[in-house]
Amino acid sequence: MAERKTASMEEIKALEGKKSEDSMEIDQHMINLFCQCIGDPSPKWKGTAPPGMITTAMISGGAVFLNIPIPYQRTVAAGADWEFLKPIKTGDTLHTTHEFFELQDKSSDKGPRALMVYKSSHKNQKGEVVAVSTNTIMSY
Amino acid sequence: MAQLYYEDVQEGMDLPTVEETPTTRTLVQWAGASGDYFELHYDKDFAQSMGFPGPIVHGRLEAAFLTKMLTNWIGEKGELKKMSVQYRGNAFPGQPLKMGGKVTKKSVEGGENLVECQIWVENPEGRQITPGTAVVALPSKS
Repeated sequence: MAERKTASMEEIKALEGKKSEDSMEIDQHMINLFCQCIGDPSPKWKGTAPPGMITTAMISGGAVFLNIPIPYQRTVAAGADWEFLKPIKTGDTLHTTHEFFELQDKSSDKGPRALMVYKSSHKNQKGEVVAVSTNTIMSY
Repeated sequence: MAQLYYEDVQEGMDLPTVEETPTTRTLVQWAGASGDYFELHYDKDFAQSMGFPGPIVHGRLEAAFLTKMLTNWIGEKGELKKMSVQYRGNAFPGQPLKMGGKVTKKSVEGGENLVECQIWVENPEGRQITPGTAVVALPSKS
């Protein structure tokens, strides 16, 4: 069974602002796999990525790329925001900057709890920002 | 896919619902297609160690179902501009999920015909486990 790396709230707080960069070429095969999975056979997605592809962890999953330790052993996704600014075409290379933006202590009399906020900015090979996203993980 | 126009939309109208029943196979497929290999979504022992009865559906998969509902609704010339979701409950493989929404506001801003919506994923008990909001831009008939 996988064990997640944990650290104290102070140690994690010190990692706010940590960034990582990733690049990925978008091809039709990736689009097809995504569309098959969600049952979307629309011909609209030949040569153009559905905006929903930005929701995938391989594109907007800052937590996956930054590997920030968690304060408590349990984690679940708490929420996300996506802004879709320009279409993504097959052959585009997405350059994504992920940032561990903020740790919020949400502990209460119900127990320890924290929110970990990640922000990602996605640019194409022309340097145009095609999407921005925020993903929040709850650790408890 | 029928084209939806700005003039076709009224505040308060319901979006066409979409129903999906993600199975364990869907979750494996999603892990591969999306790069999300968190054990909570396929390892029963791991899921139970975290206090869940078994693997749960990826929140991002629910979000992707919502994007499909929206892009099917707005047609080829519509644009999905923004989407926001909060994961407030869990879905389990084999459970039917209903994606729905309601138009909350129409406005013309910066030359764009914008439509704001409440959106949600509803579990079989009728609870909105993943509520959110979305903004789409639609073409005009004029």
